[in-house]
Amino acid sequence: MRKLLLALLFSAPLWVLGQGFQVNLQGQKQIGMAGAGSALALDEASVFFNPGAVTFLEKNSISAGVNPLLFKSAFKQNGSNITENVKNKIAPPFEAYAVWGPKSNKWKLGFGVYTPFGGLVDWGNDWSGRYALTSLNLKAIYFQPTLSVKITDRIGIGAGFVYNHGDVNLQRALPVNYPDGRSGHATLEGTGSGYGWNAGLYINTLSNITFAVVHKSKVITKLDGGSATFDVPESLRSSFPAGNTFNAELPLPSTTTLGIGIPLSKSTTLAFDASWVQWRVYEELAFDYAVNTPALADTKSARNYRDGSSFKLGVDHKASEKVSLRAGVGYAFSPVQDGYVTPEAPDANRYILSAGVGYAPTSRFEVNASFFFEDVQSRKQKNIETGLDGTFKTLVYAPGLSLTYKW
Amino acid sequence: MKKYILNSLFAAVVLFAASCKPEIETPAGTTAGQANFSKYIAVGNSLTAGFADGGLYLEGQKVAYPNLLAAQMATVGGGAFTSPFFADAQANGSGYLTLSALVNGSPTLANVTTNLAYRDATHLAKYTGEVQNLGIPGMRVDLAFAAPYSAANMYMERLLSDTQVGTTTYFQFIQGRNHSFFSLWLGNNDALGWATNGGVTTDATNVLTDKATFSMLYSNLINALTAGGQKGVVGTIPDVTAVPYFNTVTVGALLAAAKAINPAAVAVFIQTGTGVRAATGEDLIRLPFQTAGLFGTGTIPYGLDPRNPIANNWVLDKDEIIRVKDYVNSYNSTIKSLANSKGLAVADTYTYLNMVKAGIAIQGININSAFITGGAFSLDGIHLTPRGNAVIANVFIDAINSKYNSTIPSIDITKYRGVKFPDK
Repeated sequence: MRKLLLALLFSAPLWVLGQGFQVNLQGQKQIGMAGAGSALALDEASVFFNPGAVTFLEKNSISAGVNPLLFKSAFKQNGSNITENVKNKIAPPFEAYAVWGPKSNKWKLGFGVYTPFGGLVDWGNDWSGRYALTSLNLKAIYFQPTLSVKITDRIGIGAGFVYNHGDVNLQRALPVNYPDGRSGHATLEGTGSGYGWNAGLYINTLSNITFAVVHKSKVITKLDGGSATFDVPESLRSSFPAGNTFNAELPLPSTTTLGIGIPLSKSTTLAFDASWVQWRVYEELAFDYAVNTPALADTKSARNYRDGSSFKLGVDHKASEKVSLRAGVGYAFSPVQDGYVTPEAPDANRYILSAGVGYAPTSRFEVNASFFFEDVQSRKQKNIETGLDGTFKTLVYAPGLSLTYKW
Repeated sequence: MKKYILNSLFAAVVLFAASCKPEIETPAGTTAGQANFSKYIAVGNSLTAGFADGGLYLEGQKVAYPNLLAAQMATVGGGAFTSPFFADAQANGSGYLTLSALVNGSPTLANVTTNLAYRDATHLAKYTGEVQNLGIPGMRVDLAFAAPYSAANMYMERLLSDTQVGTTTYFQFIQGRNHSFFSLWLGNNDALGWATNGGVTTDATNVLTDKATFSMLYSNLINALTAGGQKGVVGTIPDVTAVPYFNTVTVGALLAAAKAINPAAVAVFIQTGTGVRAATGEDLIRLPFQTAGLFGTGTIPYGLDPRNPIANNWVLDKDEIIRVKDYVNSYNSTIKSLANSKGLAVADTYTYLNMVKAGIAIQGININSAFITGGAFSLDGIHLTPRGNAVIANVFIDAINSKYNSTIPSIDITKYRGVKFPDK
């Protein structure tokens, strides 16, 4: 009769995706052009940017690149005089492509491995939002075999199957205190997989202005049997059983891109991409624990994303036979509505600036470097679910390098 | 060679990026606005003193809301803030409750009996020296004007010289301190004392203070504190039914427990001011009843038979609730109108704690008025945890900032704990 049920203490930890998790780093040349280039048959990265353009690549090639990414986010609690920063951690988005086809034939095969979504944010265990999140490490690696076919001399179509391997590690503090005053801690870790596709159309008009229509499908990634570890005082152990697991779904959205390529001169090409990211699929996130207790219930959290979009303009200039220079600007609209911004992805509208350089010492070998910068606008927010109230500001820096061999 | 250059560039770029932190602009610099925080004094009761877990002890004193507030004021011209802290060797002060075990979600509480600060059975070690945290557990608006109470209240007696004990009133004690700013959060016990005795008056500490008397005496307090034109903040009195003390042991839970043992049990019976009747969900049972060991005992089972009802002092029945709410509303309109007439800031803890009762999320923490798990209230079900103090201190900060255009920075409540759970 004197039993007091432990009331629901916590909403279960959740992750949120946003533009912040969309990694716009899939090809060193395109990165230098702010991510534009779906309407250019530039190189083997067309496997990602436009499978329809792959068949127009002149040579067979293989390439690999990496873009160490620094996501530098700051937070100032509403009314506070203290600015808190994420720790310096370098995420390693990478890309590798291969394209092969018999010379002067109408088709080419392609294969791509790349990281279109991911996030590495570590706010530390002592910051003022630690009960919402301490750290997140999310990786989505897409594997994409692709076939590209010339329908005419000027029109190509292509499509690829996408397999996603997802990895997530999410941690946060729990507002229960040990006898020495320190907080509990929750760690959710798991891997999952999902499937999708990527298809594109490439049209080269008589004036050599090129057009692209590309659709990358959504990839619902299912995580089954991830581990849910709760460090809590032993008196609460029955509420947070050891060895618990969870299932969840990670909805990675579809993207539709329209691209234009305009040759300004023999050596200079302009590329413009408009993308529409169908984040509205992300209405809620359900989270299912294997063992539930009165303090640990399954949850369904509203996310209510709207669609996001981005506009990117880039230029590629062949300064000499061996050297190419690139630059780009872009702007992206956040899919995260007011009230849903979180420290996992402190998302807001953002500016993109980029530059790149390519060097081809021989006809077979090529090195490309890029620098990619995003200025995510400052956003003052109070999260509806957690009450986390303050201003986020983020800058993203990603230098990159790739090597290509052609034959 | 080219590759070497590229690699060096690459490294330089990473180093550059690592040093480029995003900046967040603060709209205004830090300022005291129209207020002067150089010498702040805090007038009030147990909540001002830092009383928690049924006792006054050093950890609680250090996180009393005025102490947290004073630390934040330091960034906008606030001076030192002195408090009558217990010595480290006597850090457990009056003694207090800890949670020693949770058995199937049911708490076991234990008393801390070591390192206490008693100089004899009923008196605490004296504290000499200047104090700015003037909070006295148990202090009431009416008893602030009663000299004998300064001898009867061990927390006040501790701060007085032998000649002052029993001759100095709290009203006199708080004056002459050359303050530039004050907080006044007093009056809770004028209603709570009566309520926590189940609406039964047995002595001066559980009288329901007359409304007109309250108004007159509160006005005297405000006048004394603003005699030199000082600015300050006053707190309203929380709804006494917003605390876990009255919402943990429910009639429904008692009846369900009784039925589990004897399915024939039909109702819980209570003694009220107007007779014996079956209790309903509108009647509130005091928290200590769950450990009193009375319920269902005796040949005529206690509380389960109209011939042996739960005694009046255990129950705040629905008529008493109406009465005490009416008094609290009256006290609060007095407090607000006097504060407004003197241009003082009002920290509306009444409204805020009613929001907490419904449950709020702050900085990723769900806070509500549930006993133990709610995070805001300590183990006595009335006083605040360190986290609860930090939340309330922010309510005072917001009130001061909006009244005086100051920019006292808010407190990071995540630095402060809720209830400690045993790790065994």
